[in-house]
Amino acid sequence: MRDRQRPIRILLVEDNPGDVRLTIEAFKDNRVDTPLDVARDGVEALAYLRQEGIHAGKPLPDLILLDLNLPRMDGGEVLAAIKADPALMHIPVVVLTTSRAEQDVQRAYLLQAACFITKPVDFECFIQAVKLIDAFWLSVVTLPCGARS
Amino acid sequence: MSAKSTTRITSPLSPPDTADGSRSTRLADPRFDEILASANDAIISIDESHAITLFNRGAERIFGYSAADIIGKPLDRLIPERFVARHGGQVRDFSAAPETSRMMAQRGEIYGRRRDGSEFPAEASISKFRGPNGLVFTVILRDITERRAAELILRGAHDELERRVRERTAELEERNAQLQQEIQERRRAEKLLAEQARELARSNADLEQFASVASHDLQEPLRMVASYTQLLGKRYRNRLDEDADEFMGFIVDGALRMQRLINDLLTFSRVGSRGKGFQPVDLATSVAQVRINLRAAIDESGARISTGTLPVVNADATQMEQLLQNLIGNAIKFRKGPAPSVHIDARREDAAWRITVQDDGIGIDARYAERIFVIFQRLHTAAEYPGTGIGLAICKKIVERHGGQIGVHSTPGEGASFSFTLPDREETPHA
Repeated sequence: MRDRQRPIRILLVEDNPGDVRLTIEAFKDNRVDTPLDVARDGVEALAYLRQEGIHAGKPLPDLILLDLNLPRMDGGEVLAAIKADPALMHIPVVVLTTSRAEQDVQRAYLLQAACFITKPVDFECFIQAVKLIDAFWLSVVTLPCGARS
Repeated sequence: MSAKSTTRITSPLSPPDTADGSRSTRLADPRFDEILASANDAIISIDESHAITLFNRGAERIFGYSAADIIGKPLDRLIPERFVARHGGQVRDFSAAPETSRMMAQRGEIYGRRRDGSEFPAEASISKFRGPNGLVFTVILRDITERRAAELILRGAHDELERRVRERTAELEERNAQLQQEIQERRRAEKLLAEQARELARSNADLEQFASVASHDLQEPLRMVASYTQLLGKRYRNRLDEDADEFMGFIVDGALRMQRLINDLLTFSRVGSRGKGFQPVDLATSVAQVRINLRAAIDESGARISTGTLPVVNADATQMEQLLQNLIGNAIKFRKGPAPSVHIDARREDAAWRITVQDDGIGIDARYAERIFVIFQRLHTAAEYPGTGIGLAICKKIVERHGGQIGVHSTPGEGASFSFTLPDREETPHA
């Protein structure tokens, strides 16, 4: 189903190195060969997306995996900033977080998150979740072509 | 005793015209005679030497002397001895005074002396006029013994009344003081209660905050422990020995159980804080929904679920469903064998509904009847019956939030009957 010229790019916004590695491993386990860039907090994520400083010249991601619990600028604020920016608002944002709190879920959807996924504690379940993200967003869904790519 | 012939009268209005005015007087007008005779008061005249010259019938009655006895005698006979000197002075004083009459006893009471020596209180006026033989003083005197007695009684009654009023006032004041004190105490108690309510609200908010923190921050490290252990096991399969696999199994199992406990604790804490308002709930509909939710367990066990007529109650719909689901779920879970049967029924009780969930399962020893409603208290090992021991604690909290009570009747091996009450109510729930 994937009929793109280039591989799909994912930006993972996650501050916990354990989670970063776990996500990478989960993608690896699913034999998904996709470039995965990582931003460690909200400020870095926005700098990356706006190609500021050291991020100058980097391509825009096709999909963003966003944790909510972030230092400096939390996930909700990052989401709001992305959806308020005409150059970024087309990029689907999947909220991938530990929280199951109703208020977090509601806030995420109000801020136009594409979907909200609670990270399963069980690693096999997590692999399954990543596999579904992969299957849905990287294979089933037709994503818009980035404004700058 | 006082025949008209013995009464010699000198009319004050018409001075006697005889030379000897003291002893024999002639009436100027017969009407005066009548007036003097019929007067109730004593009317007594004396001359300048204080000898009695007139003594009417009233005087006879009051003093006990007949006019014949007393005429010509000194007035002092009619005065208690201790007043005699003072009285003489007063009459002399009056004789020199410009006025022609005055009330006596202006400076205190006066007393008369009867023939038998007894005294009586009196009220009197004195007047004077100049007759042919000098000044004539006339005293009009009334015995006020009875009035005094009446006054005394009246004063006694008055005093008694005043005493009673004082007593009653004192009683009322005392009662009032008691009431004031009670009011003060009640106010203090109310203030204390308000403070405690504020403290409780604050403590509930703290707990809610804690629960929220527990859901995020405690789960993150657990996820790390569980996930990386699993990843380790997966990547190094066949490169570690059997012990390592078993140990990793324990690590993962512990982390997953911890996570379930945290989630259960959150669910439990939210029964109060996240409860919804009360509205009419058809419990038959709730049971129907529970059948759908528990379809897998029902199908797997072959459970038969029957209901009597269930009422519409004023309650939190979600919590009613959760309550019935926990009880029906338990009834299926703790079955004795295949095809357990569960019966849900309701009956009226005072101002409440009592809902009963009866099963034919393994039952519960009576000594554990209280303990099973305490959070995380379990009667079985996880291997026998999985679960954290939260279900009945949640049931209890839901029932209590609805103002009711939950309990169990059971004989081991013969099934259990869980029942709870839902009092009739209109008002909103307390958190």
